[in-house]
Amino acid sequence: MDELKTKIIERIKANFQDATENNSFNYNRLDFNVNKTTVPSILFYLKDEMGFKHLSHITCVDWLEEGELELIFIVWSPVDKIKVFVRTRLDRENPVMDNIDMIWRQAHTYEREFREMFGIQFTGLEAPQDFLLEDWDGPPPMRRDFHTEEYASETFFERPGREDAGDVREEIIKRSGEEIPDFAKKYSR
Amino acid sequence: MKKYLILQKNIQDKMREKATTLYLGPQHPGITGNMMVRLKVEGDTIVKATTEVGYLHRAFEKLQEKRNWLQSFTLLCRFCVPEPDPVEESYARAVELLEGREVPERAKYIRVLMLELARLGSYMLWYGGQNGSLGLYTMGQWSVGDRNYILDLFEELTGGRIYHMYIWPGGVRRDFPEGFEDKVLRTMDYLEKRVKDYDDLMFDNAIFQKRTQGVGIIPKEKAVEWGVVGPVLRGCGIRSDIRIDDPYEVYDKLDFEVPTAEGGDIWARALVRRQEVRQSIKIIRQVIEKIPSGDYYNPIPNPQKWTLPKGDAYARTEAVRGEVGIFIASDGGTKPRRVHFRGAAYVHGITLLENLLVGENVADVSAIMNSLGTCPPEIER
Repeated sequence: MDELKTKIIERIKANFQDATENNSFNYNRLDFNVNKTTVPSILFYLKDEMGFKHLSHITCVDWLEEGELELIFIVWSPVDKIKVFVRTRLDRENPVMDNIDMIWRQAHTYEREFREMFGIQFTGLEAPQDFLLEDWDGPPPMRRDFHTEEYASETFFERPGREDAGDVREEIIKRSGEEIPDFAKKYSR
Repeated sequence: MKKYLILQKNIQDKMREKATTLYLGPQHPGITGNMMVRLKVEGDTIVKATTEVGYLHRAFEKLQEKRNWLQSFTLLCRFCVPEPDPVEESYARAVELLEGREVPERAKYIRVLMLELARLGSYMLWYGGQNGSLGLYTMGQWSVGDRNYILDLFEELTGGRIYHMYIWPGGVRRDFPEGFEDKVLRTMDYLEKRVKDYDDLMFDNAIFQKRTQGVGIIPKEKAVEWGVVGPVLRGCGIRSDIRIDDPYEVYDKLDFEVPTAEGGDIWARALVRRQEVRQSIKIIRQVIEKIPSGDYYNPIPNPQKWTLPKGDAYARTEAVRGEVGIFIASDGGTKPRRVHFRGAAYVHGITLLENLLVGENVADVSAIMNSLGTCPPEIER
């Protein structure tokens, strides 16, 4: 396995000068850090030249304190039984990335999701704006500086009578002036 | 020029009459959950299909960023209701990978038992769903009834029938109750007899054969590239299984086969699943035979103060629907920086389904969806 890993590292480094590797994992995993402009070409190379045919996952992590978004592409070789992580960092203020759905069609779905949830713009991505969210005008919700509770309390109003943890039936009686029916009394707190 | 424009408009009008838009879902008995497939049909042939999601998003991944490493388990099992255990196992293993925590051998065997029981339970639901989509309802009544015997086992072992939260970092929550092994073996004996009945009812049925053969074909040469995984990929004649290719827990110590079938249609996928049920029973018997005694849990520190080193990990599990994976990233704190779930339906339910449905008959949409194992909660987490 180690021999195979070394061979892969050598080939990648010979073809992509900006790729830095992390080979500290004692199992079948390899990590490469690249510039965002290199991502499509390294993925294309891994798929077509080195047999990493299967796109296992694409994920995005928000490093708020560092002002960066990290995109990680995980590819798997069914022949060599190795997974390779290709990482790149994007500027959080203006995250723009090349579209890779011509390499793997399924990347299209991930890109649509990240556009919506992290605000990453993929150049050349042809897809309708709405994917999971509908008529969304807030900030990208999966970013670390989006606070779900704050957004909900600012956007939606509290149902009257639910400000405290009181019995909702008593509140209804208070507001409507109606008597609580006998059969419901035994359930009342 | 004017004449040409009028002619063009007439043609367009005629085309418009020919094509109809059908909305399959989000509430439709033929759909596999809360999603919609927008179909453009000419006659009863589909010319375009678009998957529409957004009915189910519960922000699980966002919520997990506010919880400690252990509290995520109550959310994880809800990613896909029919088979929650592979998600729990993936997460637990990702945490263990990141922390470098050892898991006792006995716990690994118990985890395999859980995963295979979950696989059987999920296949029992698939029997019902696949046949129900073709109007054959007896099968579902049999198999869902038999699934209860598996749920009984889950209940005895974990306390829950559907959601278990039993596999956690460091091992499993509790050991086998007294006499549990015998009960598992008895259930396996019963199920082994029943799958023969299933074969008579399902695979020897002319309606099932005619409705599934040659329908929803995935080309073998494109399958891996398109992101097809699990039984669907094996139904294209490609031998691929994470349990063998990227072994986890103790699968490398167990003897089982990876069934494949040629054709890439619904029938081939059904043949693969038929064999996998038998292989799961075989694995469970081996687990009961080989399970060592000893600890079942390597205790974790106080969960409120439990920190994981900075870094990330990705663990994959072979579930009924295919590859299930959990990516976790840690900033060195008591809570995850990011948890990202990967389910087979994320690919099968969108890009693959949209591709496969073109040229198929409207009546086959539901059968194709069931054969791909599309599970909408996996698309919207």
